[in-house]
Amino acid sequence: MVRKGRRTFFTSERIGLFIALAILSAVPLFIKKRAIVELIILANIYAVYVASWDILCGYTGQVSFGHALFVGGGAYTAALLNFYFKVPPLLTILIGGGVAALLGLIIGMPCLRLRGPYFALATFAAAGLPHGLTDVYWEITGGLDGLYGISPVWPTLNGKYYFSLLLTALCCGLIYVGGRSSRGLILKSIREDEIGAMASGINTTRYKLITFVISGFLAGVAGAFYSHNQLHVGPETLSINLSVLVIIMSVVGGIGTITGPISGAYLLTIFNEMLREWEEVRLLTYTAVVVLILLFVPKGVLPTLTDGIKQLIKRKGG
Amino acid sequence: MNIFLEILVYGAVQSAVYALLAMGFCLIFGVANVVNLAHTALYMIGAYLIYTFFTLLKFNLAMSILLSTVSVGILAMGLYRFCIRPVIFSEWSVLMVTIALALFFQQLMIFFYGPPDRNVQGFIEEKFSLFGRVDIDAQRLLTLGISAVLLILLWLFIYRTRMGKAILAVAQDREAALFMGINCERVYLTVIAISAILAAIGGAFIAPTIGARPEMWAPALGRIFAVVVLGGMRSLEGTILAALLIGYTEVVISFAISSYFGEIVAVIIILLMLTFRPSGLLGKRVEV
Amino acid sequence: MGAILEVQELTKYFGGLGAVRHVSFTLNEGEMLGIIGPNGAGKTTLFNLLTGFLKPSRGRISFKGESIVGLKPYDIVNRGIARTFQIVRPFHQLTALENVAISCLSKRAIGKAIGDQDVEEKAAALLESVGLSGKEGIFAKDLPHGDLKRLELARALAIEPELLLLDEPFAGLGLMETSSLSPLIQKLSQEGHSIIIIEHKLRELMKLVKRVITLHFGEKIADGTPDELSRNEKVIQAYLGKGGMTLATG
Repeated sequence: MVRKGRRTFFTSERIGLFIALAILSAVPLFIKKRAIVELIILANIYAVYVASWDILCGYTGQVSFGHALFVGGGAYTAALLNFYFKVPPLLTILIGGGVAALLGLIIGMPCLRLRGPYFALATFAAAGLPHGLTDVYWEITGGLDGLYGISPVWPTLNGKYYFSLLLTALCCGLIYVGGRSSRGLILKSIREDEIGAMASGINTTRYKLITFVISGFLAGVAGAFYSHNQLHVGPETLSINLSVLVIIMSVVGGIGTITGPISGAYLLTIFNEMLREWEEVRLLTYTAVVVLILLFVPKGVLPTLTDGIKQLIKRKGG
Repeated sequence: MNIFLEILVYGAVQSAVYALLAMGFCLIFGVANVVNLAHTALYMIGAYLIYTFFTLLKFNLAMSILLSTVSVGILAMGLYRFCIRPVIFSEWSVLMVTIALALFFQQLMIFFYGPPDRNVQGFIEEKFSLFGRVDIDAQRLLTLGISAVLLILLWLFIYRTRMGKAILAVAQDREAALFMGINCERVYLTVIAISAILAAIGGAFIAPTIGARPEMWAPALGRIFAVVVLGGMRSLEGTILAALLIGYTEVVISFAISSYFGEIVAVIIILLMLTFRPSGLLGKRVEV
Repeated sequence: MGAILEVQELTKYFGGLGAVRHVSFTLNEGEMLGIIGPNGAGKTTLFNLLTGFLKPSRGRISFKGESIVGLKPYDIVNRGIARTFQIVRPFHQLTALENVAISCLSKRAIGKAIGDQDVEEKAAALLESVGLSGKEGIFAKDLPHGDLKRLELARALAIEPELLLLDEPFAGLGLMETSSLSPLIQKLSQEGHSIIIIEHKLRELMKLVKRVITLHFGEKIADGTPDELSRNEKVIQAYLGKGGMTLATG
């Protein structure tokens, strides 16, 4: 946002985003295989998961291991409303987001004064709670199996796809714009030095809380959509595995940049699918690759790539 | 009366294992400032190794324990050298790499042993009668015994040997220790090895009781977080006290209400402590 | 010209240690006050109390007639008190312009700006006013120490404060840098800002201020003109020890 020099609407970053959006819009037109379209839908949903995580954690510097709470909160709210009360999908998605936003507020408040590893620990601990709750109240939630028979958000595959793309474009777009705005700058300053930010007159508490709520809302919306996409809701949406996956995607993609985590989401979702050929070693390879990336590409795939390209351009030009 | 005796013993065993794990975790954090999320994965590998050597390959008990422990120790040192040290400057990277490693090890266990639980036969197949009223299986008592011995040995090591003093020095002030000529790298490796051994033995001895599962590292991690937060990340005495508290509370609640609530006790404790007293029961006041 | 800041019996204990004890003074509008004292005398603690980073154990602080005890630091800033830090703390991964922009985005400053464009212009103007024009795009971690001190000042000024608290503005600066920063502070005072300066560089400080408070072990032991202070027994003893009187006068 605040940069010296002329500001153009079409920065290279934005051009890249438009191209990506264009490619994604064209997917159902060129790809007829159902499984692949479903895969991209999943990636679209994950993109919102990670983007909403990044604006909260990558930007403020506090790593939350509990993002699944928001996702699962939205997913279960939508599913329960739809399953028991026949509430239509669009409405359930909004309400699911609202419930997750509320969760964001509830979790955000005590977490405010925790720093670094303590914050991570607290969210890790909090993330373990709801998983068991679905077990205890299994009559309502369907326990380990979850609930089946959730209404679809759209009857056709392509319709479903474009709906997911719309969702992703809206949510991620909102997060992207927010992140690059002065609000995003303030969040970054909080990450750098919260006391310094306070000394600059910034109400850091309010900013962190609002970010929790927004992050929760969007993650909840995506989770709710997920329920309607899978026609099923299960405890995996609340699991710590999902939280960790979100973090891994974000870190691999490049934490704190919004675009990084989004690219991480697409990369890893597709990579995971590519490994399905070798089902036996799929997860083993996946986790091994993640460890390697974390060790050798610490800044994340996207920032390292863009830095590399910039270096190349400099060398060619100079 | 019987219930009380059972709770007494079960609680002690639970606390003992938690203490072993938490001590190792605290040592690494206190000395090297590393939050090693793969710590309980080592415990899991200890359990699987004892399964491999003792149950599958039918080595004798002493050999199996020795092999398991040494393997895990070497593995831990290797992990430190190749995975943690390169990123040790960034707390955040260490968190990420170690959790990714834990996940990797989980998949590795699934790859070699398959998803289902693996049962290990008890080291001593007997039940003792406590006060002639309650049957407690010997494995549990053995676990309790070995843990107590190890903790005492650890205490002696840290407070009575030169290396132990070096460890304390580095934990207090790394730069000062460097100036004193202490080889920090060797201290780190020693601490890593000790923690790994404690974890491996914990895993090996508890395996006959709870079996070996690829996911077992995760709930264990949650428990020792609770212990560490309750006891204060930098206080060894606090850790033991916390392990006792958490171990017993869990067992009591499991008996009294249900095992689910027993499990979430740890979580609730963490949340309460972090909200009201992040420095732990006995830990130094942390500036948050 | 009334009192802009009134401090009464301000006290702060850390456990058994009295870092600030029964300190009382008044600052008038537009006045520039110096605070001196040996290390550990409680000067920075005093600033932390005034800016809400610490809660007093006892005592009253009122700014423009209203008590500010118990307010959060950002609320105090938005009332018009800005401070710099003894050890500079810029946002290292942000550019100089962005550093100042953060302060321009505070509630107090934003009320007077219109949109992001205006914030950017304001920030650039502020950088220019402290002599950092041309360095807007440089990351704070790449700026030399002298520039960082000016950046601190620019950030404080961005809030359009009525009271400026400067904590050792000359610390770590060489002769040339010090003598170029000094007139800047002088100008701020002339423009009507009320200023309190903590400093160790006594000679430089005495050139700027007409009134100095001395703190020693948390207590105020003197309050007067630089001249009066140089003859004050307690002050000399505080700095030079018991035998100091002989050194100073003899």
